[in-house]
Amino acid sequence: MTEPGGTQRPPAPAGCGEKGDPRLAPRYDYHRPRTLDEAWSLRSSVEGSRYVCGGTDLIVRMRSGRESPRALISLRSLPELTGISMGEATEIGAATTFTDLLEHPALCARYPVLAQAARRIGCPQIRNVATIGGNLCNAIPCADSATALIVLDATLRARSPRRKRDIPVAEFFLGPRQTCLRAEEVLTSILLRPPAPTGAGIFLKATRVYRDLALASVAVFLEIGPDGRSCRKARVAAGSVSPVPLRLRSVESLFESEGISPETVSRAKGMAREAIVPISDVRASADYRRHLTGVLLGRAVETLANRERA
Amino acid sequence: MKTEVSFTLNAGVVVAELAGHELLIDLLRDRFGLTGTKEGCGQGECGACTVLVDGRAVNSCIYPALEVEGRQVVTIEGLLGPGNDLAAIQRAFVEHGGIQCGFCSPGMILSARALLDRIADPSEEQIREALVGNLCRCTGYVQIVESVRKAAEAMRSGGSGGGGA
Repeated sequence: MTEPGGTQRPPAPAGCGEKGDPRLAPRYDYHRPRTLDEAWSLRSSVEGSRYVCGGTDLIVRMRSGRESPRALISLRSLPELTGISMGEATEIGAATTFTDLLEHPALCARYPVLAQAARRIGCPQIRNVATIGGNLCNAIPCADSATALIVLDATLRARSPRRKRDIPVAEFFLGPRQTCLRAEEVLTSILLRPPAPTGAGIFLKATRVYRDLALASVAVFLEIGPDGRSCRKARVAAGSVSPVPLRLRSVESLFESEGISPETVSRAKGMAREAIVPISDVRASADYRRHLTGVLLGRAVETLANRERA
Repeated sequence: MKTEVSFTLNAGVVVAELAGHELLIDLLRDRFGLTGTKEGCGQGECGACTVLVDGRAVNSCIYPALEVEGRQVVTIEGLLGPGNDLAAIQRAFVEHGGIQCGFCSPGMILSARALLDRIADPSEEQIREALVGNLCRCTGYVQIVESVRKAAEAMRSGGSGGGGA
């Protein structure tokens, strides 16, 4: 194998890339379809293929031998997956990078909770490449965009050659790295309704160092009444503390039925600690994650309630 | 299966024939001899491999080379001015102790450059936020932040931001 410039490369050893040496790039084909039709037909005709968008997680996993698809089909430049449109509802193309999202002032102003989550994802180099659709389809329990979208009641639009379907985001995740999408199906966009003018959301994330995956994260969206106590609508989600980004319905009903007070917040923290099923890993113990979730939930609700009173 | 890509690399348009699995860092270092771009962790964590793609900092160690088709890539070599003069931002790193062993410097400088192209007078917080994806094991970051601040001053007062980019 002679490269241009005359440099000689030794042939790669057999099994290269399968043993987990990050220095040896695994071999795979990389397709860049121009249309969704082309992407679907590649996905069904190329054996062992997978969709990829920014690839900031998948390619790292492939370099370390944890995944080895034979071919990647890049959805990065598909026109059907790009662009942000804001009318009555808002539609965010699945291939929108977190930087694109953060550089859209109207979107960030309408959905601050989503902007807060996007801002805490990775670092500039990652946000410049990683996409919101990729973050969702990657389906790891700590996906920061997922909890924010759950409390915004987002709908995910998926398309396959035969049909288009809309999936509530909280039903999208089946387990770690597992979504309800079928083989050829592509997540094309995220749909958001305009938030109620009286509603406000917040995203909080606890990390070991500033830039890291969440030890625990919490997103909360509340419509607090003019009395500062009653709550017309509550949405609460927790990340990194269960096999999927988790909507905490018991906490939501408590706030909606009994309002926001120091007493209900304290009970909500207990309910949240009960509802989650965290694991212990290199970042934190399950007990610490349980503790953190309560702390973050309390802080989030107090911040929103204080803002309402101010 | 090889695919031909054409893109702008620093000052000029280049063409390369690539296999699907090739990553941008290998394209830059092995094909074009641009070894200023360093590979540290190979996992998109340390930022030593940072280059600019269409003006945005990316980790070239996890960036599929085929995705540069039609885009503009700037490496540390692209910051040099005529006669290989250092750009203002490079000089600032040299003069203010932002460089010690030098391994993180190309990536650090390109991340800083991407920041200064958007924000001419960044706060310390904005500088630190822009460099959060670049690890340095020598300096403790104080001199690096200072270097970026001085570079911003120099560039605002008309100093050269460098060529290529």
